[in-house]
Amino acid sequence: MIIGLQIIALIFSFSMIYVAVLHFKRKELRKSEIIAWVSMWTAAVIIIIFPKLLRTFANTFLVTRVFDLMVICGFVLVISMVGSAYIRTKRIEKKLEDMIRKEAIKKAK
Amino acid sequence: MHIFIIVPFYNEQKHIVDVIKGLSKYKLPVVLVDDGSVDNYELKIKNLKLNNITLIKHKINLGKGAAMKTGADYAFDQGADAVIFMDGDNQHNPNDLPKFIEALKNNGHDVVLGTRNFTYGVPLIRFLGNKFASIILVLFFGIYVSDVLCGFKAITKKAYKNVRWESTGYGVETELIVRIGKNKIKTCEVPVKAIYHDKVKGVTILDAFGIMFEIIKWRLTL
Repeated sequence: MIIGLQIIALIFSFSMIYVAVLHFKRKELRKSEIIAWVSMWTAAVIIIIFPKLLRTFANTFLVTRVFDLMVICGFVLVISMVGSAYIRTKRIEKKLEDMIRKEAIKKAK
Repeated sequence: MHIFIIVPFYNEQKHIVDVIKGLSKYKLPVVLVDDGSVDNYELKIKNLKLNNITLIKHKINLGKGAAMKTGADYAFDQGADAVIFMDGDNQHNPNDLPKFIEALKNNGHDVVLGTRNFTYGVPLIRFLGNKFASIILVLFFGIYVSDVLCGFKAITKKAYKNVRWESTGYGVETELIVRIGKNKIKTCEVPVKAIYHDKVKGVTILDAFGIMFEIIKWRLTL
């Protein structure tokens, strides 16, 4: 039987799939990106409905509860995404800075 | 020696006119770098005689470090041999300029650092923050400068090539000292007066925390 927490998680996962597809339709995501996002959230949906699928996996990594494994995986994912977002932001900041500075010097009066 | 004065500023309509007037008697080329100001400073300077003054405008606010770099890049492209940085909030006294010029021309220093004295009206909290920054730099890099955060400084073209900074914000003063130390550039300090017109501007506690992280980063990367 599906419990309340699973329902919330399912709603969230489906919302995220919807958001990903929406951004793809707006041409803000590439094909490879939409495939990655939809696959990730589909996997999340499957795990939410059948959490026991992860039991063997959890045992392999000596994690007692499936929920703990999901939390650990979630943390790893979030930390890696924050890291990559930070690097991208820095790159964009640098490009923006160079562009504004060059333009300012060109228009010096 | 061809010396340019660079004044980075942001929303300084109250003080920029006084800064320009103060500098006018020295007949040195001045580069004003507007770092994305949104006030009406242009109306205030419209009626001034702007001989020898170049205005460079950033479209958006990038930070003091970026504005200083824009000014320096421009000045050295225009044939400057050295530049003197002054803050745009009229905190620095133009009467101290001859000390920098003397140190650059006659003493052959590549970097001249202004040093505010406690008796010249530096608020206690800023004085303590400065001393803390000096101690941190000694501990992390073995470099001692008595006033790390003073924006009144001069640098030659040769030194600029070696110390061109990456910081866009207030971290620039600290990064500059770190790079000067790393490149073993010949420096000297000259005492300068500082008048604090605006207590809400300048380096905040949050900026200081950010700079602390930057210092750790520079220790690992530079």
